[in-house]
Amino acid sequence: MATVRLQQLTRKFPDGSVALAGLTLDIKHGEFLVLVGPSGCGKTTALRLIAGLDAPTSGRIVVGEEDVTDLPPGSRDVAMVFQNYALYPHFTVAENIAFPLKMRRVPAGEQQRQVREVAETLGIGELLARKPAQLSGGQRQRVALARALVRQPAVFLFDEPLSNLDAQVRASTRAELVRLHRQLGATMIFVTHDQVEAMSMAQRMAVLNKGRLEQCAAPLEVYRTPATRFTAQFVGSPSINTFDGTIEGKGSRQLFVGAVQVPVTAPPGSGTLAVRPEHLHIVPPGDGTFPVRVALVEPLGAECIVHALLGDNTEVRVRVPGLPTVATGDTVHLRIDHEAALVFDAEGRLEGRGRRP
Amino acid sequence: MTTDFVTPARRVAVAVCLVWGLVVGALVVRTWIRAEDALAAQEGRSVAASFGPDFQPTRLPVRTPVAAGRVANVVRTMERQIGPAANRIAESERTLSLGRLWSRYVSVPVKDADEWDVVGAVVLRADWWRGVAIPLAVVLATLLVAATLGRRGVVRASEDVSTPPYFLVADAIATLTVGTTGALVLASRRLTEAAAILPPPSAQVRFDPLSLPMPGTRTLGVLLLGWCFAAACALFLCAWMASPRRSVAERRESATAWSFLAPSGVHLLVFTLGPLLFTAWLSLHPWDLLETSRPFIGLTNYRELLSDPQFWNALRNTALYTLYVPVTMVLALGAAMLLNQPLRGMRVLRAMVFLPTVVSYVAIAMVWQWIYHADYGLLNYLIRLVGGTGVDWLGNPATALVALMIVSAWVQLGYQMIVYLAGLQGIPETLLEAARLDGANAWHRFTQVTWPLLRPVSLYLLVTGIIWSFQVFALVYVMTEGGPARSTDVLVFQIYQQAWEFRRLGYASALSWVLFAILLGLTLLQWRLLNRKVEYAG
Repeated sequence: MATVRLQQLTRKFPDGSVALAGLTLDIKHGEFLVLVGPSGCGKTTALRLIAGLDAPTSGRIVVGEEDVTDLPPGSRDVAMVFQNYALYPHFTVAENIAFPLKMRRVPAGEQQRQVREVAETLGIGELLARKPAQLSGGQRQRVALARALVRQPAVFLFDEPLSNLDAQVRASTRAELVRLHRQLGATMIFVTHDQVEAMSMAQRMAVLNKGRLEQCAAPLEVYRTPATRFTAQFVGSPSINTFDGTIEGKGSRQLFVGAVQVPVTAPPGSGTLAVRPEHLHIVPPGDGTFPVRVALVEPLGAECIVHALLGDNTEVRVRVPGLPTVATGDTVHLRIDHEAALVFDAEGRLEGRGRRP
Repeated sequence: MTTDFVTPARRVAVAVCLVWGLVVGALVVRTWIRAEDALAAQEGRSVAASFGPDFQPTRLPVRTPVAAGRVANVVRTMERQIGPAANRIAESERTLSLGRLWSRYVSVPVKDADEWDVVGAVVLRADWWRGVAIPLAVVLATLLVAATLGRRGVVRASEDVSTPPYFLVADAIATLTVGTTGALVLASRRLTEAAAILPPPSAQVRFDPLSLPMPGTRTLGVLLLGWCFAAACALFLCAWMASPRRSVAERRESATAWSFLAPSGVHLLVFTLGPLLFTAWLSLHPWDLLETSRPFIGLTNYRELLSDPQFWNALRNTALYTLYVPVTMVLALGAAMLLNQPLRGMRVLRAMVFLPTVVSYVAIAMVWQWIYHADYGLLNYLIRLVGGTGVDWLGNPATALVALMIVSAWVQLGYQMIVYLAGLQGIPETLLEAARLDGANAWHRFTQVTWPLLRPVSLYLLVTGIIWSFQVFALVYVMTEGGPARSTDVLVFQIYQQAWEFRRLGYASALSWVLFAILLGLTLLQWRLLNRKVEYAG
């Protein structure tokens, strides 16, 4: 069973900065887990620790039943696809793919057979005689993938493998990776800073921030119920609207008071109200609405993003389906989907939700 | 690029070229014919006059060439027709005359003693092909130039190849032909001038075409060179203007680039190419620096060199000496890999290893001379400490060259280490990490990844190292002066010795050219090897 368990994984640099602070994560067999976070959050560090390229300051890494923390990378049964693909420039494609087999002293005939098989699977069979420099970005990516696949490892590690591809190839490769995962049933750990990539590919996504795990759950759950204010802001584009204020009153009279007022269920005290752009609606003036001034309209075709300013110049982003109906300078009224609003406490933890008044 | 490669500009260029060639051809032919006719007339008059008053026409029914002189390096034969044979010539033609282009002759009447009756004629006939060959050659040359221009356009338009090799050849041929045409014009002009100052017909002297004031070879050579240069410039400009890819901005840009290059180009011409050509010339002459006459002796210097055992000895020593290069490279690679560790103090260590490279060779030689000293040297002192007997390192023919090689290795180690270090740091870290993940141990990572990727660096070091070691001089000069028993005599030292001790500059120049040929060969080899593709793109 190729489960991967990270136990209190910590990595400190000699200068005292902490790349990873006690990451504990259980990755199930055959799972597609995405490590996501802004740059410097420790996601690549975590991946390198799993690969064995760096040694943790403390903590253990268990693959299957085996503690691999002190094993060299080549003995870990993990394969990695690097961001820049790391193809050997002096080898042909075939030699690149065969290299892990060669290092494991697989007989030459067997090497050739396996290389051909993997190459056919990935549709690079006719490129085998070329050198990496003669390949396009997408083709290099496939070769790097083939080099990982040919070893038939228990765990695949991907370090932002799509970030060097242009948008079109990236979208198709994304789908292909998901298909490949389903086909192989292998455990895959995928690092990215792109939350769209994470959302679209992950079975579970682990959001990291400053070396700590913020949340690890299915993408939609992370989206709907972010555990922290950071996660709420990191996931979703355009990002979630936040309003600082206080929670006042008790029981059915509990109310978030800030730039907007929303009935909530949460312990009293200072907090943050967060509302996704699609949970704000432009409506005729009436009860429970508030006026805003439109500052910018971004038409995207199927929808448009309206940037508007509240009375105190707080910016709000509203996702409006269809073509734009408002223009810059207009004053419009907004209504909040109360049940969809999230309330975070002063530390940024989710502590409640909005409620129907 | 557009398929419409026949731009108006090129059409104009080709047309100008053609017209130019035709005009030049016509001019050449005209002047050439005129000059020849003038010469022939003069010849005829001389012959006629030489018959004198006691001329017996019947006794001279002969057809023999009168003159086979050389005019402008062209052998021309003439025949004379005297006596009855001359009767076939019409009266009206019994004077100086120009015929048609393909059969031209000049007849000069021969009169009797009282200068009254025409008793015969001297007829000089030019070879028929003279009228055809020259215009034909000119037209062909022009066509070639035009074709080159047109071809250039086709090549430029069809594929974006900067300079295909045959293109260069075509340009050279075109330049040559245009140059030749120009030289022809010059020569024929000189001929016309010469014809104009011929002695008067009444003169009794037998005319000798060789006595004509023809341009000297030197003047002609200079003129020819100048003409070739001008023609090449004109052609280049023409082709440049006609090429389709040049916008005004690009043209201005390359003009700027050339103007930036000009100073160093002039410097190169005067201080590198000039001396180079001078030594080439010198190697064909003997010179001892004092003598003003330097007679041409051909390849004598080279012949002497090849049969000189000292030359072969020096060549052998130089070749042996280069063996230090690969040895140093192995050491340098090891040092570079050690010093590539990210540890504290590495920068200082690197600087220390590099230091000998920046120190003057003479200073290094002095220090090592002391180290190698038979009695007071550090090396022998250490050897005696461990109970050995010292060696006179520099005084023993068996060890002197090796001692020099050790010094060179010590000096070169730092440089090669730095280059290897740069090479190592140019290898992306992820490649080695990928290899680790692929299960490669340290040895395999070195043999499979690091070493192949360092191949261009190694090649560079090997070839430049050999080139440098062929130029070794300072060490030999200071430490051994080629001795003992010529065991450290190397090529450059021998050049120095021949030139400045024996004052045989011609011979030294020949030696220099042999060394130059060797180094050129090595450099070409390096180019060939290094230009093979090694890609770093991951």
